[in-house]
Amino acid sequence: MATPVAEGRALTRTRTRLGRKVNKKSERRAFIIGGAIVGAYILAALLAPVIAPFDPNKQDLFNALQAPGGEHLLGTDSVGRDTFSRLIYAGRVDLPVAVIAALLPFIIGTVIGSVAGYAGGVGDSILMRIADSVQAFPIYVLLLVLVFAFGQGATSFILAATLVSWVAYARLIRGEIIRAKQLPYVMAAKTAGLPHSRIIVRHILPNTIGRSIVYAMSDIVLLILALASLSFLGVGIPAPTAEWGRMIAESQIYLRSHWWLLVAPGLAIVVLGIGLSFLGDALDQRTRR
Amino acid sequence: MRRFRFVLGRLLQTVPVLFVVLLLVFALLHLAPGDPARTLAGLKATEESVEAIREEMGLNEPLIVQYGTYVGNVFRGDLGESTVSSKPVTTIVRQRLPVTLWLLAGGAIVGTTFALLLAGLAARRPDTWIDHIVRGISTVGLGMPVFWVGLMLILLVALPTGWFPVGGFPDGLAEQVRAMVLPSLTLGFALAPVQIRALRSSLAQVYDSDYTMAARSIGVSETRLLWRHLLRNAALPAVTVLAVQMGSLLFGAVVVEATFALPGLGQGLVQSVSRRDFPMVQGVTLISAVLVLTAHLLADAAYAALDPRVEV
Repeated sequence: MATPVAEGRALTRTRTRLGRKVNKKSERRAFIIGGAIVGAYILAALLAPVIAPFDPNKQDLFNALQAPGGEHLLGTDSVGRDTFSRLIYAGRVDLPVAVIAALLPFIIGTVIGSVAGYAGGVGDSILMRIADSVQAFPIYVLLLVLVFAFGQGATSFILAATLVSWVAYARLIRGEIIRAKQLPYVMAAKTAGLPHSRIIVRHILPNTIGRSIVYAMSDIVLLILALASLSFLGVGIPAPTAEWGRMIAESQIYLRSHWWLLVAPGLAIVVLGIGLSFLGDALDQRTRR
Repeated sequence: MRRFRFVLGRLLQTVPVLFVVLLLVFALLHLAPGDPARTLAGLKATEESVEAIREEMGLNEPLIVQYGTYVGNVFRGDLGESTVSSKPVTTIVRQRLPVTLWLLAGGAIVGTTFALLLAGLAARRPDTWIDHIVRGISTVGLGMPVFWVGLMLILLVALPTGWFPVGGFPDGLAEQVRAMVLPSLTLGFALAPVQIRALRSSLAQVYDSDYTMAARSIGVSETRLLWRHLLRNAALPAVTVLAVQMGSLLFGAVVVEATFALPGLGQGLVQSVSRRDFPMVQGVTLISAVLVLTAHLLADAAYAALDPRVEV
């Protein structure tokens, strides 16, 4: 029953490696590179007060717009705040917000999707129509509008992301569960008279959750980009909190004269994105094995 | 006949989706904290004008009646009035839509061309250094914020060369085309990584197929093989991916328009958001959902037209 567009949706998300064998060496390499990058970011965020040489929000108008080098490693912004310290403190915002914004819909979607897929019937049909409608929206435009409706801030972003993306997880796990339902081990568990909840949680989910986890990994990258974009547009994390997208927005007028103010936070996002993508790739290859 | 039925069936499936989409857009006003009438009236409105709006918009009526009225208005082509400029939302949308459509088309062309070239190179020699580089490009590209790519293009191309404006949308066709080059490139670069991934795997599959072997065995040249046989078969997934990416592409357009100060729908949305202009936000959200639904429908119809095996 899948329409071409529905199939295409799967094509953009799963990283199919047709015509090539899963390569154990490349999986390990991806895992090490990705793990090192993401680990470094997490460590830097945790140890921010120790690593950061300055208070990220301390203004120093006499030393505004300093070039990199010298006392301020990456220079200072238009009100004299230390760029390096702000970059490190921003990790304390972007990382946890994106992770929670991926985790909540993952949990909610998985619960709803597995019950619907397992039980089938009217509830299942209703779920699929809701999923169709939510996915008809350009999800990040909807995210922007919802954050606007709820008011700026991290909580709104997480709430909006949950409302928007639980359907993707529900859809994913529903498909896997419908497939698993017909497999001998599930039938055996049913014949043995195990309660439904135990069959889902103990037997089906451990075998089917892999793709959802991979999806969540790629979702974290997209959510970090979305959060940075919304903050750039002025509707994400409010000032004066250090956040990568916001730092770029605040320095936009200095593009001509102080380009490093925009390049540094951008690179911080790009490198983290690469690290997370590598981790996702490694996980993906592992679940396929 | 069967294909016609398929397209008709897809069209009918869209109808209930459209009503739920309308419900969600309608609900936006009531999701916002506080009094909807005050929200609609704007921040500086007096108590009387808030009351007038409450009467006029029927905000005292039960929600279901309000929803009915809203749906009726939308189908008559009435999306309300902007609370900032007092112009009908449809008029503003009509002014701004062309810029966005140009940008979307430009981005789609740049992204797809770029992806076809790179994916073609990679799929032909899987697991060689070319393949690794192409996959590296798509991994790095996936992690780059769209607005940052735009700013870097301004910094590295527009400012040093002076060939392109750093923003704005001038009069005159030639100037407009020039103003669209960098925004289209930006949007294209955002689209390309996903396209590369999807196309690489579908092209690799075609390279592995029996008909490729058959074509090679009768001595068809590699170039001809790629252009005549393989791309045709790989083009369909490219179209589908484009349709699926329509949503992300639209958000990309919002961000790109804000970066390059292009007077399109996206910039309109961002401005309305910061001015809390609710009817405009609702209108643009609705239009973008309709754009996505149309893209999905067109992609499925294109499939049905091009591939006789499609059935649902």
